[in-house]
Amino acid sequence: MKELEEFDKIIALSNELRWQIGDDFHDDLTEAIYADAAKIVKKTVVQNSQKGTLGIDAKIDNIVTSKIWGFPLMLFLLGFVLWLTIIGANYPSAMLSSLLLDIVHPFLKESTAAIGFPWWLSGFLVDGVYLAVAWVIAVMLPPMAIFFPLFTLLEDFGYLPRVAFNMDSLFKKSGAHGKQALTMSMGFGCNAAGVVATRIIDSPRERLIAIITNNFSLCNGRWPTQILLATIFIGAVVPESYSSIASLAAVVGIAVLGIFFMFFFSWALSKTVLKGEVSTFNLELPPYRTPVFWKTIYTSLIDRTLIVLWRAIVFAAPAGAVIWLICNITLGDESIAAYLVHSMDGFGFILGLNGVILLAYIVAIPANEIVIPTILMLTVMVTGISAGSGSGVMFELDSVSATADILKAGGWTLLTAINVMLFSLLHNPCSTTIYTIYQETKSLKWTVVASILPVIAGFIVTFLVAQIWRIIF
Amino acid sequence: MNSYNPIIYLSVFFVLVVLLVLVFNTRNGVYFTYLKTKNATKKTAVEDILKLLYHNDRFTEADIIEQLEYSHGLIESCLLKMLSKQLIAKESHFVQLTDEGEEYALRIIRAHRLWEKYLSEKTGFHKKEWHDRAEQKEHELSDEELDQLAKLLGNPKFDPHGDPIPTKSGKIVQKKGTDLSRLPVHSIGKIIHIEDEPAAIYKEILAQKIHLHSQIKVIESNEQIVVFEAEGVVFKLTPVVAKNITVQELDPENILDVNNSRLSNLKINETATIIGISKESRGENRRRLLDLGFVKGAEVRINLVNPLNDPTAFLIKGTSIALRKDQSEKILITKNIGNENNT
Repeated sequence: MKELEEFDKIIALSNELRWQIGDDFHDDLTEAIYADAAKIVKKTVVQNSQKGTLGIDAKIDNIVTSKIWGFPLMLFLLGFVLWLTIIGANYPSAMLSSLLLDIVHPFLKESTAAIGFPWWLSGFLVDGVYLAVAWVIAVMLPPMAIFFPLFTLLEDFGYLPRVAFNMDSLFKKSGAHGKQALTMSMGFGCNAAGVVATRIIDSPRERLIAIITNNFSLCNGRWPTQILLATIFIGAVVPESYSSIASLAAVVGIAVLGIFFMFFFSWALSKTVLKGEVSTFNLELPPYRTPVFWKTIYTSLIDRTLIVLWRAIVFAAPAGAVIWLICNITLGDESIAAYLVHSMDGFGFILGLNGVILLAYIVAIPANEIVIPTILMLTVMVTGISAGSGSGVMFELDSVSATADILKAGGWTLLTAINVMLFSLLHNPCSTTIYTIYQETKSLKWTVVASILPVIAGFIVTFLVAQIWRIIF
Repeated sequence: MNSYNPIIYLSVFFVLVVLLVLVFNTRNGVYFTYLKTKNATKKTAVEDILKLLYHNDRFTEADIIEQLEYSHGLIESCLLKMLSKQLIAKESHFVQLTDEGEEYALRIIRAHRLWEKYLSEKTGFHKKEWHDRAEQKEHELSDEELDQLAKLLGNPKFDPHGDPIPTKSGKIVQKKGTDLSRLPVHSIGKIIHIEDEPAAIYKEILAQKIHLHSQIKVIESNEQIVVFEAEGVVFKLTPVVAKNITVQELDPENILDVNNSRLSNLKINETATIIGISKESRGENRRRLLDLGFVKGAEVRINLVNPLNDPTAFLIKGTSIALRKDQSEKILITKNIGNENNT
């Protein structure tokens, strides 16, 4: 007991002394340690040259951060990477889908029938689970396998930190970090990868902003939807010679609108719910170096592409099952899907959409890639026209005009197309991204915010567009 | 669908938006006003009266009613309760704190200043929000929470404005110093306190980016204007504003190099030596700067200028680090003269 009392006395005395020494004590101590360390380094470590100030690095820096060349170069590189991804992915995507959808799928159907699977089991497994997984792989793998290595090469070379440096004051105005320019660009490839990439932002507030707003980058899974709808509906309203330019402009416009929303919500979040989070800034500009080409390709394939793909598959499989089930289980005289479509038609109409689109976006939460196939399948099922291969079996058509015919039979107008393009930009992140957001933030609250915020924005925007459109036309 | 009319839908939408704005407007929305009145209990009012009396010696009941935003009736009933609990005593017209009352008042001041310190060190709230948030929080913190808070912050002596924080036992450091408007011309002093009330004047001080603990030299001081130099920048204030800044005249041995300046004032091709980080850089930000090598004695130079002017990349210890302007103006340097263009 007596010893304890002594302890208490000593602790009390130390508290008293600490108080007498004053506030600066901690700082002085830290600074002294750093200063001593610096002195020791100066004495013992020999630096062979003043790297980073002279020679090639400074020359590159002067170009990439110059007033004239800095921004055009940046836009050119991002545009080039995206163009290469979208164009370059077409061929392997077509090959994969003809292999997985046109060859393997019928083969599986036949062989399951041959070994005597009942229709519902083969439907559930092959038409539901397998088809969704195959679709995701065919559409998702090629663009990611092109985009991520290119991006990683730029990163390894040392160019990306300069982009963050150039862009910082724009992002600062909306309360964000310059490095968000990079995570945003990464989001054009895949939002889940973009969310993981926010690890480079080491300030808590800015990192949360980057995570929550990453979904406003139009990802690879959504580019094909935009391009398809723009080609069918936007391209059709202008004279034919301008149609490809008009549809291109529409798609780019949607992507730019996404950037606008990203800035807007970054600003709104930093001024409201996130203003109490700690905010710091630092950005290191490392020296340039030649990327280790094959190593970069390998690690970006393993670290980014395959991990993201695996997560997408894990989520797509049950989605496929659900899609097949709701189309094939009937309540009374219509399937669950038809029932849901009809019950959501009214709400869909107010938003300038329809029940099919809303249901497709609900069941396609696991992957944006299967939205269009699901819409086509549901439209055929609800309208009763003959196309596709049965209820619950997603399909896509090779010819754009045949797709257009089905959509128009489903009651689509130019307004529907525009609103689907908007809603495709502004809706909840896919489940892979939602899961990744939870992994990265470890917070249910921010995961919910990141998931709900874009949907609300989507509802409001499509609602306003629909009403104004109907008043004008 | 027959009765569908987009104009009606649109109007309903805008009515809803307006309603939401009215309810959740942070300044005077119904929701926040409700929260405020809910919190404005007798306890809060009593504590605010105690604080007011602690800072003002000869106050009458009328003065209290004038200064505080509570209703006439609430204040009167509070005063009666405080009299019966012997927190205050009346001497003719004047209301004064008893010893017990003073102890209680110091506890509230401790809570207020500790919370401001907490906000400055551990959160990202902007300076101008600290005071109002602490005004709320001071009534909510229990003794236990206060002790934990003090421990977490390392038993700080001063709050972020330079006001002393009373200890648990009610001890409080008496600060010396005079207000800036009274410091004679040519004398050198150090800013030890910046008053955060009234808000309008504090805002002006913030806008000018005057930093706590900076060393100043008075250039001109008269009834119309106070001009002084600090950290390589010349500031001009009206005497009313200058009165809210407390300075302490420095003994010659404590005077830093008079050529000290902010890193943000460094120009291309100049080199400088860091003398330290301003007290205005706090918490995580301060530690980050130290981690990056912005410590006393380090040499620094501009490496890259941004096409949009901010941030600037500085070359420090062989590494290129970009800092925003609001960071670089909180790092103090002395420019190295005579070795320009030596690269």
